Amino acid sequence: MKRRSSISVGLMMSVSLIALTACEEPKVEASIYESVTQCKRDPLASAAECEKNFKEARAQHAAVAPKYASKEECIADFGADKCEKAPYRTSSGGSVFMPLMMGYMMGSFIGGRRSMTSQPLYRSAKSPNTFRTADNRSAGSSIGRTRVAKSATSRPSFKNTTRSRGGFGSSGRRFGSAAT
Amino acid sequence: MLRIPVKERPDLMRAASENGLDYSTGEGITGWDESAYYQFTLRQIEEDLEGPAEELEGLCFEVVDRAVNNESVLHRLGIPEHFWDYVANSWRTNEKNLYGRMDLSYDGKSPAKLLEYNADTPTALYETAVFQWEWFEQATEMGLIPEGGDQLNDVHESIVQTFPLLGIEGVSHFACNNDIVDDKGTLEYLEECAQEAELETCFLAMEDIGLDEQGRFTDLDDRAITTLVKLYPWEWIMAEEFGRQVPTSGVRFIEPAWKTILSNKGLMPLLWGMFEGHPNLLPAYFEDDPAAATLVDTGSYVRKPLLSRQGANIEIVENSQTHYKSDGPYSEDAHIIQGFQPLPEFEGCYPLVGCWLVASKAVGLCIREDKTLVTSKDSQFVPHIIMN
Repeated sequence: MKRRSSISVGLMMSVSLIALTACEEPKVEASIYESVTQCKRDPLASAAECEKNFKEARAQHAAVAPKYASKEECIADFGADKCEKAPYRTSSGGSVFMPLMMGYMMGSFIGGRRSMTSQPLYRSAKSPNTFRTADNRSAGSSIGRTRVAKSATSRPSFKNTTRSRGGFGSSGRRFGSAAT
Repeated sequence: MLRIPVKERPDLMRAASENGLDYSTGEGITGWDESAYYQFTLRQIEEDLEGPAEELEGLCFEVVDRAVNNESVLHRLGIPEHFWDYVANSWRTNEKNLYGRMDLSYDGKSPAKLLEYNADTPTALYETAVFQWEWFEQATEMGLIPEGGDQLNDVHESIVQTFPLLGIEGVSHFACNNDIVDDKGTLEYLEECAQEAELETCFLAMEDIGLDEQGRFTDLDDRAITTLVKLYPWEWIMAEEFGRQVPTSGVRFIEPAWKTILSNKGLMPLLWGMFEGHPNLLPAYFEDDPAAATLVDTGSYVRKPLLSRQGANIEIVENSQTHYKSDGPYSEDAHIIQGFQPLPEFEGCYPLVGCWLVASKAVGLCIREDKTLVTSKDSQFVPHIIMN
């Protein structure tokens, strides 16, 4: 069950930090870098791929990053100086905050083909050594060629500001069970 | 078809608690009665129930195919005009259906008659798929029922096998009215089936669904919802504030929107209109259709609202006398008039045979008994076996 946090404007939800257990999930090859420069220093990576994948991840960042209606809440999850304003507004015109992109993950180069779309990575305040995807899945703490849980490589979901809630449910309150 | 008294399993309280069902001393398990079971022959199952249910499913699809091309039919069913194209497109683009339950009047001898099709939000799913099967296995093992029996029950396996065929990408969201324990339990069971099929799932209440700036529905983590498995009727969704956003939300719904045509009691006159005289159909007309008088004049008929649930607002007229009338919130709605086919009586009980369809295959049976001719939320689930 997802945790629901209560926040000032009643619209924004902080991402729930899933405690990932050491289950037997299949792992896949991936490469993780904190910056393009770091990627280019890796003899196994090509400069062109480093640039291209960084751009892809960067382009997704604002859309997929977890969003907050207050800077304090963002900081609580991601740490001081680790949050920025998102290019969105709440319905009441307020600012929206999101964590800074702390790195990116791309598929391995083996075989000359990338096995996945690249995506931005984040680091939470509670476990700053671990990279996390925008959907809060651990991508481990290694830099360079590594192996990550397969679920961490799926395309992160879009996270925008929810404008309103509660537009469903009124008939259920009136009639009760949906059973037939 | 026999009703056979049988000893209850000795540890019913434990069975209830393991399955999350309500139990009270004296009353036993709420909504469940294993002091008897129904026994069918294989011929009865295959020729009178399975076969006809799948044939009826085919007829239902012909009704949908006609309805989506006929605005007067959609209007008559009370589907808001805003959703006509959406419902039609859900059919034309072959949005896949998962499940449904046909309610049949069947006495073991004459052809089963379709009373209605719970095609959108069927319940008693867990009792059918899991608890009834567990009873069958344990009662056989304990020698309470004879060896060599069987049960029409591939519901669980069929649902697990069907989920991966629905073409779902990414997370599937599951939503219902969380305040209703039975609804939540049913949907949680469906969620478990999806997880067994290795889908990633997320459960939330209908009222917690959000709407973002782009008109997408969102969950409590502000993730866009792309697939919604709902235990919430289409007519409610269409009537509610967010309903208008559904056609442009990009959400794939299970059941798909075209099921709203089949879960409507108006299905019965539509079926009769196209397949009059079919052995598994009862005569039925919309109440405002002049032809309804042919049934009313016989003095024996049933009057049902288009969208009633759990036996609400049903009126049975026999020999021109109102023989039964239930209360409910749907009395002002449009009604149908259906031929009266009383449920058979077995020792003072009236069993309604529910046939479960998963991906349009008849894969399970559930029998609910009542002391009256109308099955309602207070009726008891009674298990069944097949034995030659």
